[in-house]
Formats: sequence, C-alpha cells, structure tokens
Amino acid sequence: MTERVGILAVGQTKYCPNRADVSEEELAYEAIKQVLEATGLTLSDIDSAVTCSQDFWDGRTISSMNIQHVVGAHLSHEDKVTEDGINAVYCAMGQILSGHQDIVLVVAHTKESQAEKSLIENAAFDPALMRQLGLDFTSAAAMQAKRYMYKYGITSEQCAKVAVKNRANAKNNPLAQEPMDITIEDVLSSKMLSSPIRLLDAKPTSDGACAMILAPEAKAKKITRKPVWILGASNCYETHYLGDRDLADCDALTKAAQKAYSMAGIKNPLRQIDVAEISEEYTYQELLWMEGLGFCNRGEAGKLIDRGVTKMGGKLPVNPSGGVLSGNPTGVAGMTRVAEAVLQLRGEGSDRQVEGAQVALAHGVTGICGQLQAVMILGNS
Amino acid sequence: MAKASSKKKAEEKKPEYIHVTFNRPRQYSWSTGRYLGHFYAEAKENKRIVGNRCPKCKDIWLPPTPVCPKCKVDMGWDWAELPQTGEVYQYTYLVMPLWDPHYGEKWANPYPSAIILLDNGVFYRHRLEETDKDKLRAGIRVQAVWKEDYEERGHGMADILYFKTIDEQEAKRCLQ
Ligand SMILES: [Zn+2]
Repeated sequence: MTERVGILAVGQTKYCPNRADVSEEELAYEAIKQVLEATGLTLSDIDSAVTCSQDFWDGRTISSMNIQHVVGAHLSHEDKVTEDGINAVYCAMGQILSGHQDIVLVVAHTKESQAEKSLIENAAFDPALMRQLGLDFTSAAAMQAKRYMYKYGITSEQCAKVAVKNRANAKNNPLAQEPMDITIEDVLSSKMLSSPIRLLDAKPTSDGACAMILAPEAKAKKITRKPVWILGASNCYETHYLGDRDLADCDALTKAAQKAYSMAGIKNPLRQIDVAEISEEYTYQELLWMEGLGFCNRGEAGKLIDRGVTKMGGKLPVNPSGGVLSGNPTGVAGMTRVAEAVLQLRGEGSDRQVEGAQVALAHGVTGICGQLQAVMILGNS
Repeated sequence: MAKASSKKKAEEKKPEYIHVTFNRPRQYSWSTGRYLGHFYAEAKENKRIVGNRCPKCKDIWLPPTPVCPKCKVDMGWDWAELPQTGEVYQYTYLVMPLWDPHYGEKWANPYPSAIILLDNGVFYRHRLEETDKDKLRAGIRVQAVWKEDYEERGHGMADILYFKTIDEQEAKRCLQ
C-alpha cells in the first residue's frame, strides 16, 4: 500500500442475547459513542460512514436507514455492507486509500434475538434449488464438519477442545457473552443440534454492535497516540452450491490469506503473527480456518490444538477474546475480531492481553460453510 | 445457430416463474428502545404526542432520536409535548390495499395518507379520516383522534386512529 490506513479507536457493546432494552439504533450508538469519546471527535468530524447490517435480520429494506442519525449521515456520505463488519472495515480502508475520504466511521450491528435465526439463515440459500432442503447454517455446517473430520481424521475431542479453550478465554473478556468453565466431556455430552455439532460446539444467539474510526496515516497520528495500521487485507468468495467445493478445504480462505500476507510481508504466518482472532461459529471451524490461513498444513490443525499452540501462552494464541463461540452476532463477529486485534496491538487487552503483540490477524466469514472469507493483518509499528 | 423458425417458437414460449409461498411468517420482535419507548408510553398513558428537543438548535424531532440529524450532537433527554392539531401539508390517496406488517392484515382502502404539519411546526405522518376526494386538499385543518380504550392503546402511532377534519372554530377550542 502506498499510504497506510490507521484504526484510531474501537468500541464494542457487551454481547448479550435479548437486548430488548435498546433499539437497533441505540445499540449501534452505544458502540459509536465509545469511539467518539476515545478520539475526541464528534459526528460532524466524520467524512463518511460505512455501516454493516442485514435487511433480513433487521426486518427492514435498506437497514442502514435505521441508524443514519447516530452515524452522522444526515446530508453526509454513507455506504452499507451486508456481509460482515470486517468487509465494512475493508471498504473504509479503500475509501481512505482512494483519497476520497479522510475520517471514516465504521459500525456493524445485529440483533439476532429479534428474529428467528434458522428462518433468516434458510433465506440465504438459493430460493429455487436449496431453500427447500430446509437447511440453516448449523445443519449445513454439520455436513462440513463431518466431511472435514472424515477426510483428515479430526476428532470430536479436538473440536471440543476449541470450545473449552475459547469459553475459558472468555472469562478474561468482560464483553463476552458466555464465559464458561467447561470440560471436553461437557461439550461432548451437550445437546445435539445437528450431528456432529452439539450445543457447546456452536455460538449462542447474540445481540451487539462494534464501531471503529479510521483515518490516513498523517491524520491518524495527530488524533491518537496509538494508531493500529492495516498492513494487509483481502477477501475471497467461493461457490454457493454445497458439493461444488470440497467442504473439508477452504480454498477461498487460502487465497484471501495469501493476498493479505503478501501485502503485509508475511511469509511464515505461524512465526510472524503474534495473535489471531478467527471467526469460529462452530468449533471445527477454528481448526479448519487455521489450515486455510496457513498456520499448518491441511488436516493438521487438530495437532496444533492438542499441543496447546493456540492457547493463551502458546506460540500463537487464537481467540484470546473467547471468539465467536463465546457470543458475537452474525455480521458483527468478524469486525469484533478486528476490534480485539486492535486492543491487543494497543496493549489494551487487559486480562486477555498477549504480551508484546506486534502483528495480529483478524478473520471474518459470511454465509454458508464459510462461503465468503475475509482476512486482515494489523500491526502497531 | 438456431433456425429462424425455432427461434421464433422460443420467443413465443411463456416465461417460467418460480412462485414461492411463505406459509410461515418471519416474525420480528423489534424493541422500541428508550427514545421511541417514551413516545409509546406517552401515547398509551396520556394520549400525548411527544418529540425530543435538540440541546443545540432546539428543534423538536418526531420520532424522537438519540442524535440531532442537523447538529449531530447527542440529544440528551429533553421532551416536548406536541399539539394534536395541524394542517395537511400533502397527502396521497391510496386505492391499492397494502399489507400491514405489524398485524399481517390488509389495510382498509381507499384512504388518504398524509404528511401533517402540526401547529408547532413539526411534521407528523398519519392517515386521514376523510375519504371523499372532493373534500381533500392540502391545507385542511385536522386533529388527532385517539383510541379511547386504554387497553387498546400501546401501539405507538396506531394509538391515534386517524386525523379528522376540523373547522377553525373547533380548532380554536382544541387549542385552549
Ligand atoms: Zn440540533
């Protein structure tokens, strides 16, 4: 990149189910207020807003109209992304690099509690050729989990270890929804949702919002002492129809990662990245996505979790925040990964801080079995 | 390349549509939140229309908002009761029935839907009682008609049935 883009501040609501006490607009504003306070900026200083929300979740055509006041978009610039907030951060980065915008506010919000999750997810499938199968993200993910476990010999115990690790990490994150002391046995005996995915293998229903302010390098340095730089970013799509890709592999993620790594000068991700926040809506996904991200060879992520590589204090702590498993809403979850990476690089991770973190990876995912993959590399120097 | 005759045949074929019927409604439980919640409560409890006032420009916003769109500042918690009389700023006469998304029923039709300029200069949007097209025009004076049964209220703007046409004499009485 010719000029660097800095993230000046991040704000997150606490992630909870049933935020019936606030409207979507008020929920988004909770996160926005944090970034305004942290930077000393006002909504009048914002040149452009990039929002992320989804019409089906909000039950409203053009869901961003709902929050236009709290993003300062009256007679001002606004764009909406409907995938994950991490894609909104990418869009904001592009606006700044193009020279069109300077100070960009990014905000993602979702209230999963206000709608019926499986019906909304079912509507993501092709209406003519897939919806009638009655699939939602969990039942589709179950097929991916089975295929992945079969192809590479990944075990239910190895998947369960992800839940045990991340739910325990969540105890150090006051924003996490479901911190838990659980054992592998607890995971393996929890209610079956869609074989082999059990209740504790899956993320809970969650409401929340995440906000950030981005600016070009010179302005970023003026506004904050501790900007975090986007060193590399990319995303990649793959086929929608299940069966057209081997669900045990994730070529789109590999491609997205390779591009982000080359921008950031990462040649050996396991050695050069200090901390990773990965969007694991289900336990098997943390393992599968680590392979796609090139932290190990295909089929070898089970060994990484067995060896404790990804726990706090390991060579590459993954999801010190507790991850998506501990509760983040769809559409916000990937942006939450970016926010957590920023906190790590600012040394503001408090109890979940990875000491001396200089380079962090944030990963986001949208759609069925990881159809859209997004990778962002961030650094603090 | 297809022969001209078969091409013509293909063009004559009716298009095939995919008809999808949703037998199960997608339900939403939207929260009013703090600001709209106050508007709902004032309507139900006191038959009042309320908006909130910007600390900077002092404009009143209806529906209430957490941030003044014009000044882009936090609105705080300053409320104003709005008059229940005003004039029709513009209206449109709806003859095609639409579905009410809250109740899943078809709205009665025909009826006029209007932007109403309340007597303090704030705009509201509601239905008009008058359905006679010859009696409708921009500028007619109207007044809110509430659901009188407390138990039936609690649905925000729907706590007002419609705005009815009033004469100036009546309007003066209302303002007293
Ligand atoms: Zn104002």
